[in-house]
Amino acid sequence: MWSVGRRAVLLGSVAASVPFGARAQEEINNLPRNQTLIAENPEGTIKNAGWFNIWAINAGGQSNGLHQLAMDTLWYIDPEQGIDGVWENSLAAEKPIYNADFSEMTVKLRRGIFWSDGVEFTADDVVYTIQTHLQNAGLRWSAPVQVNVAGVSAPDPTTVVFKLKKPNSRFHALFTVRWNAMWMMPKHVFEKAGDPGKFAFDPPVTLGAYKLHSYDTNGKWFIWERRADWQRTSLAKFGEPGPRYVTYIDPGPPDKRVILQMNHQLDVIHDTSPEGMFTLVKQAGKTSHGWFKSFPYAHPDPTLVAVILNDQNPLFQNRDVRWALALLIDMKAVAMASYRGAATISAIGVPPTGKYPQYYHKPMEAWLSGFEIDTGKRKIKPYDPTVGAQIANLLRATMGDQIPTDPALIAGAFGAGWWKPDAQAAAELLQRAGFAKRGDQWFTPDGKPFAIHIVVEGDLRPVMTRAGSMIAQGWRQFGIDASTVVAQGTMNDRRGAGDFEAMMAWSVETWGGHPDLSFFLDSWHSQFVAKAGETQTPRNWQRWSNPELDKIIEQIRTVGFDDPKGVELGLDYLKLVAREMPTIPLMAYNVFTVMDETYWTGYPDAVTAPYTDPVPNWGNTRYMMAKLRPRQ
Amino acid sequence: MSSYVRYLLRRIGQFVLVVFIGVNIAFFITHATPIDPVEQTISATTSFGSTSPEAIALMRQSLRDLYGLQGGLAHQYLAFWKRVALADFGPSLSAFPTPVSVLIRRALPWTVGLLTTATLISWALGNLLGGLAGYHRNSRVLRAAGVLAMGFHPIPYYILAFVLLIVFGYVWPVLPITGGSQMNLPQRLDAAYVGSVLLHSILPLLSLVLVGIGGWFMGMRALVSNIVTEDYVAYAELGGVSPQRILRSYVMRNALVPQVTGLAMSVGGIFNGAIITEQVFGYPGIGSLLIDAVHAGDYSLVLGIGTVSIVAVATAVLMIDLLYPLLDPRARVG
Repeated sequence: MWSVGRRAVLLGSVAASVPFGARAQEEINNLPRNQTLIAENPEGTIKNAGWFNIWAINAGGQSNGLHQLAMDTLWYIDPEQGIDGVWENSLAAEKPIYNADFSEMTVKLRRGIFWSDGVEFTADDVVYTIQTHLQNAGLRWSAPVQVNVAGVSAPDPTTVVFKLKKPNSRFHALFTVRWNAMWMMPKHVFEKAGDPGKFAFDPPVTLGAYKLHSYDTNGKWFIWERRADWQRTSLAKFGEPGPRYVTYIDPGPPDKRVILQMNHQLDVIHDTSPEGMFTLVKQAGKTSHGWFKSFPYAHPDPTLVAVILNDQNPLFQNRDVRWALALLIDMKAVAMASYRGAATISAIGVPPTGKYPQYYHKPMEAWLSGFEIDTGKRKIKPYDPTVGAQIANLLRATMGDQIPTDPALIAGAFGAGWWKPDAQAAAELLQRAGFAKRGDQWFTPDGKPFAIHIVVEGDLRPVMTRAGSMIAQGWRQFGIDASTVVAQGTMNDRRGAGDFEAMMAWSVETWGGHPDLSFFLDSWHSQFVAKAGETQTPRNWQRWSNPELDKIIEQIRTVGFDDPKGVELGLDYLKLVAREMPTIPLMAYNVFTVMDETYWTGYPDAVTAPYTDPVPNWGNTRYMMAKLRPRQ
Repeated sequence: MSSYVRYLLRRIGQFVLVVFIGVNIAFFITHATPIDPVEQTISATTSFGSTSPEAIALMRQSLRDLYGLQGGLAHQYLAFWKRVALADFGPSLSAFPTPVSVLIRRALPWTVGLLTTATLISWALGNLLGGLAGYHRNSRVLRAAGVLAMGFHPIPYYILAFVLLIVFGYVWPVLPITGGSQMNLPQRLDAAYVGSVLLHSILPLLSLVLVGIGGWFMGMRALVSNIVTEDYVAYAELGGVSPQRILRSYVMRNALVPQVTGLAMSVGGIFNGAIITEQVFGYPGIGSLLIDAVHAGDYSLVLGIGTVSIVAVATAVLMIDLLYPLLDPRARVG
């Protein structure tokens, strides 16, 4: 026994003597690591790995590098400030040209752009893309093309004219990348491919600055290589893309992403938990950083997390009830519970991200400070402009120097103000709405206990689930029988069917860099609100109808995309939803994208390089490739 | 007709019935899901993009036509059995138009390879050590082995997996922690690829073996502990039969019979996949495919995987039923 024991100890000593940091095998075979960017693909494992036909609806992966690096279309709008402004003419040479009544759109194309197989990109490709979608019902963009386009023509190789079925001042949005857009098809490839819905397009002929190098048939990784002729792509105006190779991988659960980045095997984490972010800052803070280089680190996506109330439900049809529920939320507690304080809050109906604080939040501050609610017994001013600063103060006790002190930085990172918790005012509003409190419990006007189930996604979206739990707790303490219901994979179905009372979700998404609100707001028109029991089309999940809102939307439809009148109408919308509270806005959807500077520099960040959304599944992240440079 | 042939035919009949009932249950359960594949696709397509409500209504109709979801449940039921008869589960709804069979064929070898190896190693080691521990009850080495085997057994699998991940992926990073092989390594039967596959399978395999071995160990030790008190073992000892022969021929052989049944059930279960293993270690396989299909409401794919699993378990049970009389003389049909 002793000899066996001694042998075991010896073996253990030998094993332990292998230096830490040793690798059994380099993570990528035969590719220089210092020329390779490794990013997370949040789609995970692509079960249909050999499918690159992005026009076939959901047939394969999208954010495995395909739409970020291989595709291109007419325009891009940066969700932040942009490298050279927020508007980017990509394949187009200039902005869209509409006729007076927005029933025709003309596009001037850039010259000198080539597909990766050497064929020149021309107006014929655009026309072919549109006609293919007109002739085939099941492609990804068939429906919007068929609803809008009466005809398309190419009077010359660099001009395309769209005739629309009815005026649409935002038709160009179909070809303008926020997260994605309708990408252009290579006519010379697809016209020989037969049914465009059944063609795998492997390997893809690309219009972006990269081409496919190799991929895992099990869908775990995809490697893209910079094109030798990258100068003949639209990205070339920003110089040579830094990484020669870009690899998108499925790194697994959040903990593993953290381990991989600490081992410098994953340069860009798409998203991790707040705890994972804090661990990286603590243990790899010299190399790993988020969008904000100090707290709250995360990138606020141009998406507004809210308590979506089902406004067709009789419980929530009275504005007083909706406002009472808002006044029972302690935003500080919600921020701490959900994001451990790393939230960027918003009291109004747009996310405080990109250039929106400048377009909307700052101009709304004076109005919000003077805004009053009549509870039936008194008038209150519910807005507290210091909630963001209060969250920062709460965190300063434990996070110290990581919390900014400059009020402007605090507002940018944590948001400005929110509604003051006011249980007394909430009680008065509910009483005016016919509700009554007996004992510790509130009852509805028809005498039933006032109960609200908040639908949350559960493990699939833990941060929002934690926010939902905290809100339910606050309502319960007040005497409402509130609880959360975990929907997991049924979330989309329940949301569409209106099978919820309240839900942690979003119905507001914006361009981020451009103030136009039609991206989400047009779908809030009452013409699109489904009857109870029928499926609601995106994005008015709250099923809210309001004649005043309809007027605003109809006016937006008649003004140009860049018309300053659009911002004025946007402010009208914000005042309306502040008064009516159809959903209770909470905060931006903050994404803990973490970037490792061991091999690469030039990543975007909030202060020194506020271009693109760093979240690597965004189509806009192609601009990151233009700015990245190897460290070694 | 001999009694064994009658037994064989009866068991095959039962096998067909079990598969038929199992597949039917799978069909109705998958079609009772509240997740609508069309809504999932629409959500995935529109959640980031700007798409007008009118276009969504048109898209919804197009997708129903494309996915073949028109008609009622009865129509889909008949169409399903028609396809099953042709060994075709139709196209995956979440990877349309790729056939379900292609997706399963791609993932299954990884699952079968990993889980068969893990099951056989756990079974062999667990039974060997358990048998020895039950027979040599005073051995300190075997008692220590028992403590280890049983110590790992109650640890929740995902915790053990994460501990291995942290130890061998970060603290002492000598093993790959993600994927089935090195990236950018061509898939061909050469030393580099096979070596890489083996290296990448060490951690998932180790995690499955560490957790799996305890059950076999405890079962076998209990069986052997009972058998050594049987009269025929005592008689053999008194008759001067060598301890090795008693262990091998008198004890282990008898104790192995129920363990072989257990092995057959485990081997059948291999086709269910190892969902947590695949998720934690990023290992390719059918478990992740199944989870993905459930979330996407892709009942073609769920049904395809479910049917493969049902047939595999039923086949394993059939095989063991057919082999059992050969292994255990007491079970021979008369």
